[in-house]
Formats: sequence, structure tokens, C-alpha cells
Amino acid sequence: MDQGIDAGTRVKPGSDLYAEVADLLLCEADALDNYRYDEWLGMLTEDMTYVMPVRTSQFLTDGKGFHGDANFFSDDRESLTTRVRRLETEFAWAETPPSRTRHFISNVLVREREDGELGVRSSFMLTRTRQDHGYQMFTGERQDRLRRGEDGELRFAGRVVLPDQTVITATNLSVIF
Amino acid sequence: MSENPTTLPTRLGGDEDLAALVNVEDGLISRRIFTDPAIFELEKERIFGRAWFFVGHETEIPEPGDLVARPVGMDPGILVRDDEGEIRVLLNSCRHRGMRVCRTDRENARFLRCPYHGWVYKTSGELVSAAAESHYGPDELRKTEFGLIQAAHVDRIQGLIFATWDPEAPSLQEYLGDMAYYLDLVFGRTDGGLEVVGTPQVWEVDTAWKFGTDNYTDNYHVFSTHHSLVDLGMLPNDPDFASHGHMIDAGNGHVLHFVQGPPDDEEFKAFGLPAELREQMRRNLSPDKLRIAEPAGISVGTVWPTFHYMHLQSSDVIDGKQEPFMNLRMEEPLSPTRTRMWAWFMVDRSASPEFKRRSQECYVRTFGPAGLFDQDDMENWEDCTRANLGPAARRYTLHHRMGVDREPISDWPGPGTVWADSYGEMTQRAWYGQWLRQMQGE
Repeated sequence: MDQGIDAGTRVKPGSDLYAEVADLLLCEADALDNYRYDEWLGMLTEDMTYVMPVRTSQFLTDGKGFHGDANFFSDDRESLTTRVRRLETEFAWAETPPSRTRHFISNVLVREREDGELGVRSSFMLTRTRQDHGYQMFTGERQDRLRRGEDGELRFAGRVVLPDQTVITATNLSVIF
Repeated sequence: MSENPTTLPTRLGGDEDLAALVNVEDGLISRRIFTDPAIFELEKERIFGRAWFFVGHETEIPEPGDLVARPVGMDPGILVRDDEGEIRVLLNSCRHRGMRVCRTDRENARFLRCPYHGWVYKTSGELVSAAAESHYGPDELRKTEFGLIQAAHVDRIQGLIFATWDPEAPSLQEYLGDMAYYLDLVFGRTDGGLEVVGTPQVWEVDTAWKFGTDNYTDNYHVFSTHHSLVDLGMLPNDPDFASHGHMIDAGNGHVLHFVQGPPDDEEFKAFGLPAELREQMRRNLSPDKLRIAEPAGISVGTVWPTFHYMHLQSSDVIDGKQEPFMNLRMEEPLSPTRTRMWAWFMVDRSASPEFKRRSQECYVRTFGPAGLFDQDDMENWEDCTRANLGPAARRYTLHHRMGVDREPISDWPGPGTVWADSYGEMTQRAWYGQWLRQMQGE
């Protein structure tokens, strides 16, 4: 689960590289909030991993509550593609009719790593409403690894979603973080 | 025919009044038992104050001092292995003001210290000290009387730990009755049994708790609720596909089923376990149990009222290979219309690391709150809860009639009342029958 996200040299806001990363995060949020899932899949590398560990409430001396031995998501590109194909059926009732989501991404810290990848930490607030239901809200940290493809484009190679909640106060996790 | 009493009697709980709401024989269950606050209050006393509840598995607390915070029915509990290695279930509430003494989800502790006034308990529950203790007179504190409240009874089967708050409760063996046979079969098949991996997934759903319990042994919903997976070719495109099996009423509200796969699918049999685990199963199970386990692909069971095991098989990607996985579930009712769901992943202790990894991965992708299957179940429970709340809807019954005229079979190798069809609401009717008996104070 540890992606070594804090290794490497800080890429400062205002630089071209930081702007490129920020733009990718915004374009991703825009694709997800507007149901353009194939466009989103195109932003992922072939070996993309996507994990959300279960969090527990613990003393700070015992860590932040993540042990990596239980997850809410444990996906790769193939299983994420299966999720997307499922949403395209008429029968994915948890998203039929679909949720309306809004991904708010902030606190973006970028680092350039020795292996050439970029390590990106950001905070997210994801709001979701469905039908006439009230809001469900998720907050937490995303730890992303970004890699430049042969076409020159930056893509997501790994994402760890660290939820702030230990008990998820939501019907289900049928949305993408 | 389907009208119910439109108002509950003021003295709720008379046998006739409750019996009018739950007609097990005809399979007509009043909608109001799911959401009525007066019934929920009565459930607290007659079900959640009395039944046996799952609190965890012994592999979650292997060392002395290991503890996890868990509900015991509807009360906050602590499941702990004390200094002497004994497993205890304590009420997570200081005897002084009722403050929670354990405030994490899991830890290893020598003592439980109440933050409020500094009362300190051993992990056995014994009160050992209080802050500024000299201000208590010789007979004021009474340490020996005011240890943490212990569950009335704690017992285990196959490492699964159950507890009850009722001193008058029957023993766990007596309570489980014939269900013990099936828990031994499902959890005791391989060397060393099964272990919990990691920590449970916990989430809150706006559902009446009984829509959860109703769903687990229901195979009839699979084709429609999970039709997205039929569409993707991950489930057979045959409305009868999950009907080839047996439903069992094991008595006292405990119910389960075994479902077989296609006749020629050898991999789906014996719960889909890999060859080395099948070998162990053949060694560990008696011939009668083996006759049940060998053809079984999946099995789901409920220990009345709120504990469920789901031993399932599924692929987790389009055109993927099926993997088996064991999932434990429990409902913790928070209000008539809100329920906290608990889900554990378990795997055979003696399985290969690769099987353990793939089984868990497959579980997480298909079940739990993000699961390809489970997401849609919660959708059903929430909308059922909302639609059954209204004053007009509550006058009517729900339809649990599938199989009311079906005769049980007599040539099953195991105990219980058994039907040779895994579609049918026999298990739900048995569960509601027990609900009625418990609510009538039997």
C-alpha cells in the first residue's frame, strides 16, 4: 500500500509540470462527474492499481489506522474496466438512475521521483446525491503515481484512496474516487 | 385478504396482536414490522436483550490484551483476550458514569482506563483503581461489585465467538441446535479451520435491519438484482440458475442453503476450493457431511437473528475465473430505518498464500459496499424501507409465499427441515416465525 508518495523532489506550484499535473486532476474530475468513463479509463496506464484500504480508529502511536490487510477497493485496470462496463448496462441499480457526483480536489503536492514517476498527494471531497436522497459525502486523501507514456501524456499508474471515515456513512461505494 | 390491523394496540405485545402481523403459514408479513418505532422498541428488549450475537472470531484477538470494539446486539461491547488468555465480552461502559472505556476499534491493552474520572479496569473487567481513591470511604467504592459488566454468556463454535446479555439464555449449543452441525461442516472442513483476514468493513445504510436479514438466504433475487452481471456474462443468462439446491430450516430461526452449479462443472463443486483443500475436506468431514459438501457450490446461512455467513463463488472481471470466498455479515440496528453493516473476510488457514490473496481480492471486488454484487442489494433495502414507511403502505402485507405448499424431502443426509429447491421463501418464513415467538416473549 505504501507508494513512497513522499519520496523525491518537490515540484512547485507555478511550474509547467505542476500545472500539467493539476490540469490532469481537473480533467479527471470533469470526466468522472460527467459520466465520461471511457475517457477516464484512457487516463490510466495498463498496469494501473486502485486501492482503498479500510481505516480503523487507533491511537496515533499505532499509526493512522491503515494496515493494508482489508480494503474497500482492490482493483486493477481490468477490474476497473469491468466496473465501467457494468455502469453501462441498464441493470446496475446502484447507479441506475445515476448518482450526481462532484469531485473537489485540493491540497495538491507533487514530487518528482528517481524512477521518473510523479508522486501526487491531494485531498478530495466527493459529494453524491441520487434520486431525491440527501447528500452523501466522502473526504480523504488520494495518493497517485503518475507516469508519462510514449505519447508524452501523463497517466495514472496507481491510486491509493485513504478515507477519513472508519465507518462509511453511505449506501454503497458505487462511485469512483 | 392482505389487510393488516391499521393501528397497533396500545399494549403492544399481546400474542394475538403480533400474530396478526406475521402470518408465517400463508407467507404474509406486515410491512409495519420493519419500520414501526413501537415494534423497534420492543425488539430492543425481546430480541437484542436476549438473543445470542456474533462478536468476532478468535483469530482476531490472538494475544493476551488484544481487543476489538464490537456491538453485542445493540450495545457497545469489547471483545478481549484477557491476561490469562480467556476470551471475554464486556460492556464498553464505565460503571461510574457510563463513559466508553475503550475508544479505539482495536488495540492491545493491559488496562482499560476511563478518561472521565480515571477509573481503571483490567482486561478481565475487574476494577483495580480510581483516581484520588483516598477520597472514597472504606465501603464507598466497592471495587469487587463494580467491575465492567460482562456478557451473561460467551461461547464459541469453530472459533466464531457469540455472546448474550441474557442470564436466562440457553447455552450456545442448545440455542444453535441443528445449526451447529452445519457450522461445523462449513467452518470445520479444512485443517485449522478458517481465519479472519484484516479488519471488518463497516458502513451505514438507511435500511430497516430486517431487510438485510431477509436477503441473505434469498437466491430468488440474484437473477434480477444482479442482472448487470448477467448482462456482462459473469452470471448465467438463465432465471433458474440459482435454484438447483436445497433450503434448510435448522430450527430456532436458523436457516441456510446449499446451491449446486451446473452438473458438469467440477470446479464449482466442493465450494470451489482448490485441490489441496478438497483433500483436507474429505479427511475432516464425516461421510454424511461430505455428501452435502461435495456437490455444493455456494452456501449461505443465518444464525438467528443477525449473523450470516456467505460462502460464495464468483468471477471478479468480465471473462474471469471464478474464485470462492467466505464473508461474514452482521446487522447492527441504529434506528428503525438505519443499520450499520459489518462484513468480515475469512479464508482457510491452511490455504496457499496465492489462494488467500486471490480469494480476498475477489471478495472485495464483488461483495462489501463497493462490490459489483452488493452495491445493488443495499439499493433494494433502502428503497424497500422508504416505500414501506407510509401510513397507507403499512396497512398491507409483503408477499413471502413462494413454496408455502411445497413439501420437505426426507432423504437429506443432515438434520433440519429440507426442501429440494433453492428458490423459495421457506428460510425467510422460518426466520419470521422465530421473530414472532421471541417478540411474544417465548
